[in-house]
Amino acid sequence: MNPEKTTVKGACPQDCPDTCAFIYTVENGRLIDVQGDPKHPVTQGRLCTKLNDFAKHHYNPDRLIYPMKRVGPKGAGEFERISWAEALGEIRNRWARIIDEFGSKAIMPCSYLGQEGVLNGLTVGDAFFNRLGSTIAEKTFCGVGREVGTHLTIGPSTGVDPESLIHSRYIVLWAVNTLSTGNHHWPFIAEAKRRGAKIVAIDPLRSRTATQADWHIPIRPGTDAALALGMMNIIISEGLFDRDYVERYTVGFDELAARAAEYPVELVSAITGIPEQDILTLSREYATQAPAVIRLGVAIERSRNGGQASRAINCLPALVGAWRHVGGGYLGLTLSAFAMKWDAMCRPDWIKEDPRVLNLNNLGKVLLETSDPPIKSLMVYNHNPLVQSPDQERIKKGLLREDLFLVVSDLFVTDTAKYADIILPATMQAEQTDLMFSWGHFYWTYNNKAIESPGEAVPNTQLFRLLAETMGFNEPEWRRTDEEMIRDFIDWESPMMQGISFEALQQNGYMRTAVGDKDARAPHAEGNFPTPSGKCEFKSSLAEQGDFVPSPFRAGYEAMQDGSYIDPLPTYIPPFESRDSAPQIAAKYPLNIISPKAHGFLNSQYANEIKQRKRQGDPILIIHPEDARPRGIGNGDTVKVFNDRGAFIGAAILSTDTIRGVVASYLGHWGTDSRAKSAVNSISSDRAANMGRAPTFSDNLVEVAKVDSEAIEALSMGARRAAIAEHA
Amino acid sequence: MPHVVTENCTGCRFTDCVTVCPVSCFHGDDDRVYIDPVACIDCGACVPLCPVAAISEDLNLTDDRLEWIEINADKASALPVVREKQAPFPGAEARRASVAGRA
Repeated sequence: MNPEKTTVKGACPQDCPDTCAFIYTVENGRLIDVQGDPKHPVTQGRLCTKLNDFAKHHYNPDRLIYPMKRVGPKGAGEFERISWAEALGEIRNRWARIIDEFGSKAIMPCSYLGQEGVLNGLTVGDAFFNRLGSTIAEKTFCGVGREVGTHLTIGPSTGVDPESLIHSRYIVLWAVNTLSTGNHHWPFIAEAKRRGAKIVAIDPLRSRTATQADWHIPIRPGTDAALALGMMNIIISEGLFDRDYVERYTVGFDELAARAAEYPVELVSAITGIPEQDILTLSREYATQAPAVIRLGVAIERSRNGGQASRAINCLPALVGAWRHVGGGYLGLTLSAFAMKWDAMCRPDWIKEDPRVLNLNNLGKVLLETSDPPIKSLMVYNHNPLVQSPDQERIKKGLLREDLFLVVSDLFVTDTAKYADIILPATMQAEQTDLMFSWGHFYWTYNNKAIESPGEAVPNTQLFRLLAETMGFNEPEWRRTDEEMIRDFIDWESPMMQGISFEALQQNGYMRTAVGDKDARAPHAEGNFPTPSGKCEFKSSLAEQGDFVPSPFRAGYEAMQDGSYIDPLPTYIPPFESRDSAPQIAAKYPLNIISPKAHGFLNSQYANEIKQRKRQGDPILIIHPEDARPRGIGNGDTVKVFNDRGAFIGAAILSTDTIRGVVASYLGHWGTDSRAKSAVNSISSDRAANMGRAPTFSDNLVEVAKVDSEAIEALSMGARRAAIAEHA
Repeated sequence: MPHVVTENCTGCRFTDCVTVCPVSCFHGDDDRVYIDPVACIDCGACVPLCPVAAISEDLNLTDDRLEWIEINADKASALPVVREKQAPFPGAEARRASVAGRA
C-alpha cells in the first residue's frame, strides 16, 4: 500500500513580525515536513533558521504530552504523570480554597505570546480569568512602549507596507536586526538597494543587519531620542523640512522646533557617542533623499526614555514630508490593519467590581511583596518568565514559595515549568486550528490543523474550556468550537476585511487585508492621521491623559491606568543606569549591557533543540577589546557578568562589533542549561520605561570578571571558536 | 555557521538557488557557486530548489565533507555575486535525472 501523502496550509505560530505561510506535508498521519508557501508575496517560501526543522520539533522526545504533578521539592523538576481529571480536580480544590480564604484576586495569570494566534495567543486566557475575577495581568514585554509613542504622534496608523519598501530611496533600520528577527523584509530592502537606495542601520551592536547595511551608526543604548531631536534641529535650522506638509498636516511645529533647538549637534554627539559629522550627514541625507522610510524595532523602548524615543522618531517622517511618497514614512507595527474584536476575545464585561491590575514585568515583586491579598496561585501559559522576564533571582525566590500554587501549561518542561505544582501539556501548531494576524505585513494567515495531538496535549482554547467547566462556568461561550470563536473574534464588516471570508481564508491559507495597492499606497500623503486632530501631533494632545497600556495587553480592561506624566513634546531623559546618569552605580558596575534576540532562538523557544544550540553556541559576552584588556580578559575566556541583581556566565568574545562601555549577550539560553543556572535577564532591572510600562532590558549596568580556568574546560570549544569567527 | 554548496554543484549550473536567496550570498565562477558564510542567514530557501542536492546546512555535513565550509568561505570572498539564473551546462538535465534516480 502506498503511503498517503497530503499537504495542508498552515501558519507560523511565533511572535515574529513576519508570520510565514506554511505548507505542512503529512504522511500517514505524521508531519514529515514544514515548508514556506512559495506563493506568499512577503514570506515567499522561506522560513528561518529557527523554524526550518519545525516538523521535527513536533516530535522532540522532550514534549510534554500528559498532565503531571510535582513529587519532589519545589523547583527540583521531579514530576509524575496524572490524569486530566486529577489535574483539574486539584486545580479546582486549590483555587476554591484560595478564593474562599483570600478572594479571587489572589489568583493571577502569567502569559504572553509563546503562541501568537487569534485563538491560542495573547488573549486566550483573558475571558476565563476575567470571569474568575483574578488579578488582571498587564503584559507589556514587547513593543507597548514603542506603540504608545507612535499612538501619541501618528495614532494607530498601519504605516508603510513592507512591500512598498522597494520604492524607498533611503531606508533607516533603527533598533532592529532585520536579518535575525524578521528576515522577510530583507528582499524588499535589498531590491530598494539595487534600485539605488541607501541602507542605514542604527544599533549599538554591529548586527548581521548592520554588517549588510551601507552605513552602520553605532549609538549608546537609550540615547536614540537625543539623536532624533538633534536630527530635527539640524533639519529645521537648515531649512530642510517640508514646510507645506508641516503646515497642512501637523500640529505643534513651533513648540517642536523650540524643543529640538535644545539639542545642538555637539550635545547630541556627546550624549550618543556618534561623531558630529555623522549626525549632520544622516540628518541631511534623511531629509533630502525621498522617499525616506524609518523601520523602527522594538528595541527602541528598552530604556528609561524608550517611549519618548519612539515619539521623537515618529515625528521625523512628517517633518520631512516623507509620507507624501509611496515607500516613505514609518514602518513599525502593522497590527491595526487586522480587524479583531478585542472585547469579544478578552470579555472585559466579565471583570468583577474593584479589580486589581499588576504588571508582569514586576513578577518577582508581585510574588514576593504583593499583599491584600497576596498572590497565592499563578497560572503560566505561552510564557517562560525565568528566561524572558527581568529580575530573575527574585522570580525564582517567588516561585519557590511553599504556599504558591503554580500551574504551568507548555510544550516542554521549561525553566519556569520546573517550579510547577501541576503541569499541563499544550499542542504545537500543526496539531491545532488558529488564525494569525501579523505585525510586520498585511496578510492574515490561516493555520489548518494537520495532525492529531500527541498523548493528551490540548490547544489553549480547549484548556480554558476545560478550566471553565471545572470552575462551573455555564456561559454558552465556553461551548463554542475553535471555528466559531474565529467567526466571533473578527469584525468581518470592517473595511479592512473587504473581500475576505472565513471559508476563503481556510482555503487560500493567507489573504491580504484591504489596505490598498503596495505600489500606490501612501496612507498619509494628505495627512489623515488617526489622531484626535487628524494630523501628526508633534505636540501630543493625548499626552494629557498620562501613561497607559492599550487594553488588549491587559485583558481588555481600560481603567486603573498608570497615568504618570508624559511630556507632550518629544524629549530626552538619560537612562536609569549609565556612567553619566548613575555615577555611583557605574563606579561599581561600569559597563552597559544589551541583550539582543539570538539568531538561532525565538526568545527562549527552540533553545532546547540540539541543532539550534549547536548553531547558537553557549552564552557569550561580546566585549570591546579595550574594555577586556584592563580586566585581563582574553578572547574565549569564561567570564562572570554580574551586578547586585544577579549574575550569569558566558564566553568573552573580544570584538569591535560593540562600542566601548557596552557589552552584549544574546537572549534565549535556558538558565537551567548553563553552569551558573541563570540567564542574561538575571542582571535585568524590573523598572519600566517612560511609556507603556515597557521593560528596560537595555538599561542595566554590570561588571565583568574572568573566572577560573577549570570552568573554561566545561564549555564547548567548538561553539566558542565559531562565535569568535563570526565576530572577527 | 552557514549553509554550504558541496561537490555536486559542479557540472550543471542550474542556479535556481541564487534566485531565492534573500541576502544574495551566492558567489561564483563559470563552473559553480559558493555561499558567503557571513551573509548567509540560514533561511534554507535554496536547499529544496537545487536539482542535484548540492546545498547542505553545515551542521548536517558528514565528516568527510566538512572541508566545504572552508572552501565556500574562501571562494565566496574572492568571487563576484551571482544573482541571476545562469544558462545550465549541456548535460545538466542528465545530472538532474541521475540524482533523482538515486533519491
